[in-house]
Amino acid sequence: MKGNDKAVVKELFISGWLRNNISTIIPVIAVVVIIGIFQIINPVFLKYQGIITLVYAMSYFLIAACGLTFVILMGSFDFSVVSVLKLSSLLCVLYVDRIGLMVIPLALLVSVGFGFINGILFAKLKVPSFMATLGVSIVVEGIGLYLSKGFLHIVTNQTFKALTVTFIAGLPSIFYWAIGVCIICTLIALITPFGRRIYAIGGNPIGAVLSGINLDRYRIYVFMLSGFLAGLAGILHISQQGGGSIEMAADMSIPLFASVVAGGTALSGGVGGPHRTLLGVIIITWIQAGMLMLGYDRGIQMVVFGAIAIVMGIATIDRRRIKFVK
Amino acid sequence: MKNLNRKTSIPSIIMQAIKIYPVIFVLIAFVVIFSSLYPQRFLTLLNLTAIIRQFVSLMLFAAGPSIVVVTGSLDLSYVGIWMLGGILVWLLQPFLGMYSILVIPILGLVTGFLIGIIHAKAKMPSFILTLSLLVIYSGLTATIAGGIPRTVKGYDFITADLIRGVPTPFLWAIPIIIAAIYIVKRTRMGIYLYSIGSNEEGAKLAGINVDRYKILAFTISGLFSGIGSVIIFQHHGGSVPVALNLNTVVYPLVAIVLGGTLLIGGSGGPHRTILGALTFTVLIRGLNISFLDPTMIQLIVGLLLIASIIASSRGVRGVTVT
Repeated sequence: MKGNDKAVVKELFISGWLRNNISTIIPVIAVVVIIGIFQIINPVFLKYQGIITLVYAMSYFLIAACGLTFVILMGSFDFSVVSVLKLSSLLCVLYVDRIGLMVIPLALLVSVGFGFINGILFAKLKVPSFMATLGVSIVVEGIGLYLSKGFLHIVTNQTFKALTVTFIAGLPSIFYWAIGVCIICTLIALITPFGRRIYAIGGNPIGAVLSGINLDRYRIYVFMLSGFLAGLAGILHISQQGGGSIEMAADMSIPLFASVVAGGTALSGGVGGPHRTLLGVIIITWIQAGMLMLGYDRGIQMVVFGAIAIVMGIATIDRRRIKFVK
Repeated sequence: MKNLNRKTSIPSIIMQAIKIYPVIFVLIAFVVIFSSLYPQRFLTLLNLTAIIRQFVSLMLFAAGPSIVVVTGSLDLSYVGIWMLGGILVWLLQPFLGMYSILVIPILGLVTGFLIGIIHAKAKMPSFILTLSLLVIYSGLTATIAGGIPRTVKGYDFITADLIRGVPTPFLWAIPIIIAAIYIVKRTRMGIYLYSIGSNEEGAKLAGINVDRYKILAFTISGLFSGIGSVIIFQHHGGSVPVALNLNTVVYPLVAIVLGGTLLIGGSGGPHRTILGALTFTVLIRGLNISFLDPTMIQLIVGLLLIASIIASSRGVRGVTVT
């Protein structure tokens, strides 16, 4: 009898633990399975050269995805991440020869400025975040197109290039940038009052207002943070790539979104975090690299990423909590 | 719905129309500005025909989503239906012959139904769902086409000249637009859609099967996009692009928002989108024939979109805007 009770308790404990942590466990299993499958197909992945390639593909993507994670945590959506990334890249490549490394604060300032505009449109003018950021992204791309005239520009400044491609302890420095940003973002989200308030807003905006959180201010802050990280990702991306045009990073917004939800950050807000996004980014970049290696073109990749976005979006939404959805 | 106090004098009708459709001002302003700046180029038969041709493409894309926007959701899948449907016609023509054109409306219907089911039952936000589906469809299109634009021949009768000087796609668009307006303004379903858009919880409490009508709205939107895509398909010479261009997705949205349809739902509809599409087309044509740097056009379109969404979101209050 006693042993039976113990078994029941144990079973309850395990099933409860499983249920509570299912959204952490699934991405971890997915990472292991995906790495395993591609490792069996082609063992080059976990060799030094393969890892360097993946790190290059992953790093700027991770920084931009961390910014998007905060916005999705809050229950909103930022469509302009990719556009701001492009604009900050183009600003760097266009003006780095003229003003040197001062271009980095300039690009960051412009990115934060557009994040601020997003936040004002969303928080103060009550435009749904998707439409507001869509409009801003069109403007941002328009500015990028106007400044670059659609041409391909090449970075010639070696100091600027050295930001990301210097090797430290066998890995390029962009890796340390990305991991550093991811750790800082995770700490912000999990430890600081700012982060906890974002979770509160995402979980229940009305409850957050009633508990004394200045909703509008935090919404603007989060969009500014998203813009800042998108700008940083753009600077590091152009420094690593060595050149680009307005056409670069095209249709990246769905892979970006897919990597956030694949990590387990719920679209309904309040669940997840940048540490989960690290897993999602590993999943997405690994699939991308693996499919490229197997000879599938960009079209099939887009199909896969769109499918991941829809399936994981459905899987992570907490349907008990939200009454209706637009 | 008889309004006994309605004034019937012509100036008061015009005043009422302007009060209801403020975009008329913008339209008149654009026409006046462009025809006074470029009198030799704007008010020509060639340019007016071009305006009508672009208006048709825009309006056929925007007709279906206007119905969905009434409920407060968004449907961005129209370009996906057009692209994948067009390439499926090319794929299936050797097997089905002329009937293969029917695959586009069927695809639209199925897509709309699928979006409706996932949106209503799994509670996934509609914009990100339809955006993902759009990307999936464009990826499939690129894969099926092998990266090359494919041309299908044999459907010239769709756009063959019926009346001289009037583009035939425009004639085809008229019944489609009227059907969309009829569904929203004159059927019980239309009234339900408005009530879902303005207050979903209230609609549910009033006994409306919200999920069913949402699915129906998305299905009808998909069907309209499918039927419109048949005409746009032939309008563009029987071929579809194989790479997704974000402008094609955004322009119909600008037309909807510019027409004055609230994005949070509960007002507007296809009848407003007509004016929005016309205004936007006039602006685009005017910018195209102007001496402006072509790279500026996208910037202006973006600013216009932001201005019109701010204008159409005015009066929205509350913390639950996501």
